[in-house]
Amino acid sequence: MGVAEAASTEIIHYGPTEIMPGVVINMQTIYMSWLTMVIVAAIVFASTRHVEKIPHGIQNLVEMFIEWLNKLMDANLGIEGRRMATPFVITLFLYIFVGNELGLMPSIVVHLSSPTNDVNVALGLSITVAVATYIFGCIKQGPKYFKHLISPFALMLPLNLLEELSKPLTMALRLFGNILAGEILLAVLYQLVPFIIPNVWIGFSLIIGFLQAFIFTMLTIIALAPIFKQDHE
Amino acid sequence: MVSINYTLIAQIVNFIILLWVLAKFAYKPLLKAMDDRRNKIVKDMDSAEHARKDAEALKQEYAEQLKNARKEANEIIAKANAEAQKLHDEAVQQAQTERDEILQSGRDRVEAEKRKALLDVREQVIALSTEIAGRVLEQKLTSQQDQAMIARVTDQTMAEKNN
Repeated sequence: MGVAEAASTEIIHYGPTEIMPGVVINMQTIYMSWLTMVIVAAIVFASTRHVEKIPHGIQNLVEMFIEWLNKLMDANLGIEGRRMATPFVITLFLYIFVGNELGLMPSIVVHLSSPTNDVNVALGLSITVAVATYIFGCIKQGPKYFKHLISPFALMLPLNLLEELSKPLTMALRLFGNILAGEILLAVLYQLVPFIIPNVWIGFSLIIGFLQAFIFTMLTIIALAPIFKQDHE
Repeated sequence: MVSINYTLIAQIVNFIILLWVLAKFAYKPLLKAMDDRRNKIVKDMDSAEHARKDAEALKQEYAEQLKNARKEANEIIAKANAEAQKLHDEAVQQAQTERDEILQSGRDRVEAEKRKALLDVREQVIALSTEIAGRVLEQKLTSQQDQAMIARVTDQTMAEKNN
């Protein structure tokens, strides 16, 4: 652990800055997060600027992602659940996907890194998902939704609470660990072998970036599934 | 160093802002367009299917009508043929009858003429022979009985002669 920490401290720069007394913010992460937001917003807005019946250009690409996620949501959440969760799930997927790939782009003018290589971002996203799950649950089922914490019987409450806490934690650590490890390895490879090998690793990391975005999104959909599933039965 | 700090909260705020902006301004038209397209495609396919079924039904109907028309035409032709045959037969029959009648009447006429001629001949023969006989017998044979007797003889003679 000590070695990895040392490596990450040296290789990956989060740019922690104390903007107010006692308030430390990783500025590099925040800049990259903003950049990711701008890219996601640009892609989505570009695709919705002139919405046409017959999709064209980038609208096709975004609609392909949406169709694909919609199919997943239809299978797990049902039609009503999909209508409710679509904006959230699509934004989540695009944000993580773009964020994951951002760190693999060449840093020409600015130093690019993945916002998701920061545990704060990953945890922030997974906490957002956990809270959103409760919000969706309360909208859909009202206070009854909290019953799932004491099911199948009240004695399970501690275990259920533990599960509720561990879910976002594992989601965040999986995402953050994968992306951080990828970037550290990339930086190390560049120092060891400047040619070819890092490029192969970048290709592999691009796939990992997509895969992690998909896993995170899929886990979100699965977390949302019980809310809408009770409706079917 | 990997540590949790206020970046966490900043990130949550960032994501919520992104989500809100996109949901409000971008997803609504896009999702609506996708829904509309899906509905339109479903509707179009439905209507195409409907039109296809209609066309098939129409085709079936036309085929039925054509079949009926053909059957009817055949019936009409058959009927016309039968009628013509009947008319022809009747005409032939009538002609036959007429011919037979004409022949018969001709024959009758000829017979009558013949008979009349024979009667004429007979009368003349009677008159002539009577006169001849009268002259020969010099008024001895003027009574009616004489005439009848002579007629009988003449008939017999003629019959014999004819035979």
